[in-house]
Parts: sequence; C-alpha cells; structure tokens
Amino acid sequence: MAVIVGILLVAFVAGVFGSMLGVGGGVIVVPVLSLAFGVPIKTAIATSIVCVIATSSMAQTTFAARGMTNMRLGMFLEVATTVGAVAGGVTAVLIDGRVLQAAFAVVLFYVAWQMGRRRGDIVPVESTVMPSTYYDPAEGRQVSYGVHGLGTGFVLSFCAGNVSGLLGVGGGAFKVPIMNLLMGVPLKATIATSNLMIGVTAATGAAIFYGRGYMDPYWAVPAALGILAGARLGPRLAIRLRAKVLIRVFEIVLAVFGVLMLLKALGVGV
Amino acid sequence: MSVGAGAPEKHVMVPIERMVSRILMIGIAISVTLMVIGLVLGFFNSQGMPKHVVPLADLPSLLRAFDPAAYLSLGLIVLIATPFVRVLGSVVAFAREGDRRYVLITAVVLAVMCLSVVLGRA
Repeated sequence: MAVIVGILLVAFVAGVFGSMLGVGGGVIVVPVLSLAFGVPIKTAIATSIVCVIATSSMAQTTFAARGMTNMRLGMFLEVATTVGAVAGGVTAVLIDGRVLQAAFAVVLFYVAWQMGRRRGDIVPVESTVMPSTYYDPAEGRQVSYGVHGLGTGFVLSFCAGNVSGLLGVGGGAFKVPIMNLLMGVPLKATIATSNLMIGVTAATGAAIFYGRGYMDPYWAVPAALGILAGARLGPRLAIRLRAKVLIRVFEIVLAVFGVLMLLKALGVGV
Repeated sequence: MSVGAGAPEKHVMVPIERMVSRILMIGIAISVTLMVIGLVLGFFNSQGMPKHVVPLADLPSLLRAFDPAAYLSLGLIVLIATPFVRVLGSVVAFAREGDRRYVLITAVVLAVMCLSVVLGRA
C-alpha cells in the first residue's frame, strides 16, 4: 500500500514536469522506479511508456484547447517517429539493460547541454509552411510562426523515435530540441506538439511491451493515475511560465537524471 | 511576429483540435474508471495486487469473474489504444477538411502503429 502511494506521488511529479516540458515524464519515472524501487529496467521502461501515453493524452486536452499544438507538424513528424519506434521497440527486447541505461544517460547529457547553450527562446519567423498562431499569456501577446528545416527534422525525428522505443523516454527529450532549435518552432508550441507526438510513439512501443509480457499493472496502474493528475497541472504551468524559466527547468531535470542513470549503469549504488 | 495587445485568451478550436481533445478526454475517462475498479477489486482480493497483465484472449472470461488483473489490464489497454483512436480520428478530421495530403500522412502513421502491434505479437 505504501509503495502504491509512493508511486502515485512520484508519478504526479513526473506528470507535472513531463507535460510542462513535453518530455512525457518517462525521464523521471524510469530512473526512480529502477533506482529507488529496484524495478527491473525493462519493467520500468514498460511502465514509463504507459506514463508517456497518459501524459500525452491528458496534456493535449489543455494544449489543443489553447491552439498551441501544431497538428500538421506533429502528424508529419509522427511518420518518422513511429517508424523509428518500431525499430527501437524490437531492438530493446534484444539489448542488455546496462547498455540501455548508459545510452539513456548520454542522451540526457547531450540534450541538457544543447538547451543550456541558449539563454532564451528562438525568435519566431512567419512563413506559409505549417503556419500557426497562439496566444502566450506570459508574454501577453499572439505569437505567429512558420516551420523550416522539414527534411532535417524528419530524419532526426526518426532517431528520436528509435531512442523512445529503446529507452521509454518517449523521445520527447529529443523532439523538443529538434523542433525548437532546428525547425523554428517557439518553445511553448514545441512543448505542446511534442506532447502530442510522444503519445503516438509510446503507444506503438507499449503495444510491443504488452505483447511481450513486460507490462506489470502493480507499477503501471498507480503510475498512470498519478501521471494523469500531474498532467492536468503541467500544461497550465507551461502556458503561464516564461520560456526562459522552462528552458532552465528542462536542463536541470535532464542533467540530474542523466547523472543518476549513469551511476546505475556503472553499477554504483545510489 | 505579429503582436496584439488586446489578444483574446480564449482560443476557438478548429475541427481537428476539437476531434483530438474529445477522443483523448473520453479515452482517459474510460481508462481511469477501469483502473479504479481494478484497484478496488485488488484491494479486497486475498492474493493482493496482481503482478502481471492478462493476455487479450483471457480478458472476457476474467472480466466476468471480476478478476482485478483483468480490469487493470483493460484499463491499460484502453490507455494504450487511445492514441491509435486519436490518429484514426485525425484521418477523419483531415478528410472532412478535404486535406488529402494529411489524410495520407495520418493514414501512414496509423498503418505503422498497427504494424508495431503485429510485430509485438510475433
């Protein structure tokens, strides 16, 4: 019982941060389950994929209602991420857990470093490619932008999908920098669109994990319920906060868990 | 960038946005209901909380027997299925808009998702 309450609370926090940053909460759930609760890594990943789906579905009810999600961009990149996820989901069953953890840490460090190099959000440029407009209450104005770099974004999204299939992070940690840094999408629209996409990628992965019997309701159900509650709050925070603050939080969350995961992969007791 | 000082904070959803958020909302509601039923059943179960999901084939009979694992599993299945339905709904929404390119793109996404389920069963 105490364990279930613990999972609920951890998942709630993961739901808040995951939906607020567009990374799906798997970034928090995988390390906590595997480090603090000693859950086998593949069960932890299966649980986290469920969490990513829950985050995505719940967060989207807020982001879509605000018009922040770029539906066409999301759909376009989903082609790449789903194909990548199928490849990754199949590989995950074949690869050693230690290697997965080390790879996880490397991905986290890289993304934290990339985001941290920039002080604020990108300057949006209007164009006719997948144009979108939303209202940013933190800035107190409408933001209009167009997308560029579709080819590069598509190729890198394939890699993001592959990582998500492998590690259960939903690839959101990858998708946010891809759209924000390379495709000219303002951070909040990036977070909203990433939130939409990670649900699709995770659902494909989850179907595979369910079929292989790695899904464990003892962990997955309380985690999903906690996530759903947290993902009600997260998007509201993301919409209210300034982009500069979101970037800082993004960086810190990724770096901390990168360190924890690396220690685990190296066999150091944490 | 366009700047509107008195910008309206209330966004009017376009059809695709309305379709997506409605499907997700319904999926979440069904899933949460099943999970809560499963947790309550598991709470009164002598064997404690189940540790394994139920294979699809055993689901109907175990649901009738009020097996907690069956309700928890079905709750997870509905949660996992929701994005599939969302993509299907997007195909319909783009078709209604007459946007053929995005009907095709979204249909490809759905096809790949279904392929992954087939691979997972193999």
